[in-house]
Amino acid sequence: MLIVILVVALPLYWILAAALKERPDIYTVPVTWLPDPVTAENFSTVRTGVDFLDYLRNSIIITVMLTAVQVVLGVLSAYALAFLRFPGRGVVLMFIIAALMVPSQITMISNYALVSSLGWRNSFTGIIVPLAGVAFGTFLMRNHFLSLPSEVLEAAEMDAAGPIRTLVRVVLPMSWPTLIAFTLITVVNEWNQYLWPLLIADDSSVAPLPVGLTQLQDAEGLTNWGPVMAGTVLTMVPILVVFLLLQRHMIKGLTAGAVKG
Amino acid sequence: MNALNRRTASRLVVGGLALTLLAACAGTGSVDTDEAPAAGTTADANEVESLTFWSNHPGGSKEVEEELIAAYEAEHGIEVNLVSAGADYEEVAQRLNAALAGGDLPDVVIVSDVTWFNFALTDALAPMDELWETVGVDSEGYVDSLREDYAFDDAHYALPYSRSTPLFYYNKDMWEAAGLPDRGPETWDEFAEWGADLQEANPDVAPLVAPDGSAYLDWLFQGMIWTFGGAYSDEWEPTFTTDGSIAAGEFLQDQVETGNLAISNDPNNQFGAGQAASLLASTGSLGGLTETTEFEFGTAFLPGPQPGVTTGGAGLGIPAGIDRARQEAAMEFIAFFTNTENTVTFTQATGYMPVQKAALETEETLAFLEENPNARTALEQLELTSPQDYARVFVPGGGARIGAALDRITTGGEDVETVFTELDEETRTVVERDIEPQL
Repeated sequence: MLIVILVVALPLYWILAAALKERPDIYTVPVTWLPDPVTAENFSTVRTGVDFLDYLRNSIIITVMLTAVQVVLGVLSAYALAFLRFPGRGVVLMFIIAALMVPSQITMISNYALVSSLGWRNSFTGIIVPLAGVAFGTFLMRNHFLSLPSEVLEAAEMDAAGPIRTLVRVVLPMSWPTLIAFTLITVVNEWNQYLWPLLIADDSSVAPLPVGLTQLQDAEGLTNWGPVMAGTVLTMVPILVVFLLLQRHMIKGLTAGAVKG
Repeated sequence: MNALNRRTASRLVVGGLALTLLAACAGTGSVDTDEAPAAGTTADANEVESLTFWSNHPGGSKEVEEELIAAYEAEHGIEVNLVSAGADYEEVAQRLNAALAGGDLPDVVIVSDVTWFNFALTDALAPMDELWETVGVDSEGYVDSLREDYAFDDAHYALPYSRSTPLFYYNKDMWEAAGLPDRGPETWDEFAEWGADLQEANPDVAPLVAPDGSAYLDWLFQGMIWTFGGAYSDEWEPTFTTDGSIAAGEFLQDQVETGNLAISNDPNNQFGAGQAASLLASTGSLGGLTETTEFEFGTAFLPGPQPGVTTGGAGLGIPAGIDRARQEAAMEFIAFFTNTENTVTFTQATGYMPVQKAALETEETLAFLEENPNARTALEQLELTSPQDYARVFVPGGGARIGAALDRITTGGEDVETVFTELDEETRTVVERDIEPQL
């Protein structure tokens, strides 16, 4: 357990420590584990060196929009595939599983062509729409819905609850842990999107943090790692906050029973 | 009512699902964009109101690029949109590949020594010679060897911009501590001898640090392989398995094993922090090192026997897919951006080499060299440079392929002959498959 904690925590600690060090102290041998003196200069360099607040705003917009779209569509699609009878249900499910097998990089060029022809380059629409596919979420939520006790659903049907009402009042309250796990995975995935936004965004009006922060690095010259680490810390903090908030609900959901004996 | 709800709900869900599946896997057909007149048609460059320039700001040059763009806008009245198109040359190339498939091309794009040729071969870059005549560019004013790096099939596909040679940087204090003369080693054998002295005088400090295969070791090693009588290729014929090439690979591996050479993923900072006695890096690192190091360092030619050094860096190209008026305006912009005055400004900000012959003689340059003798090395070394081997710069994926092989023999410790034989075969396969049909 200690080894696992070290493997996870040490790099995170190193990032934070380097972000608080003066430039020469980052490279000392032997390594200095505590920043001395502690400086916030790297954080102000991030603010002045790149349009940090613009990139932060863009990351929030992209992540919130994509998470909302993916969670709503994922839940609705999963519910339909789990509980509703309609022609071609098996085919739709097969398409979803097939979509899971296709790496996103394969569709990147054709997506770019489509986005470009629609005039969506350098826009939030161009970044968000092609990333809004919900194959993973649909698959995850459908499998979870199928594991729910059938008695509860039968009771809802006897109470003449329609599909939407059953979903909102019965199915979702029993699905919080999975739903929050799905939301969390989506938030982290979308927050860290790099390649697609890099191709579509031209400037700080729509580019997210991972793209913007590369400007702090210098491929052929000399990268000042202090601001890079400070930028990394500032990028991680919102996700850590979201994770800590959702984690509590996830545990709550796990302990809440639906069927009484 | 229940059935109606269910039917309505299922329609909504399937409709939504279809939309998102379409979003996830858009069609694979190419899309016709509303192209302006095709390249080659007569047009007036004065009609162009704005240009888009894709750069990765090499050598931390974003500020100086913005400064030069502001000067251009003031002089020509054309707005230039500077796009940070990637973190390095390879990402810019990746982005250009996407744009070639999907439209919305830039007007000017930075193309590196290893990316320009494939774009030229597939007619993605516009040949410039005719544009030079139309716009009135004095192509002869550019340093001949740098200009000719972009020549293929009797045409030129870029003009030099952020051009560099590899340099040997050395920490003068550590050199003195080891009792070494204030100069770089003249040959790699001499460096091998000096390595032991450096290790003894400066314990726990690598005598020499170089980047790994993902960060241009393939570029730096090219000079070394020549000094051993080897090469990556003889034109399109791979030569990784010749005696000289194998000997160079074994020497590189031996230097790592004896502790004379450390392979690092951030060699510039390692040297800059005093954790290495010397460094193999681009002239593009000179500006940053001069600004940040707290010790005195010197620069020297790469060890010989010469020729043991090549040019590198990037040029500025114009996509063939934009209309003629835009191409002419783009050509005017490149000519301005790389003119004598501006190449001097760019050089002094970054450490890259001036690309104009006249720039080498300006008062400003001479005064700068007087003040910064380390910058003189690259210029003096320029006449010793040789063009790069096709296997690195013209064969698709060549640099990355060679870099991966060098990682296998340095950090991986694998047998040099085995690795180079595989590399030779892989390169030959790519040449036969991707190059020969197009020649």
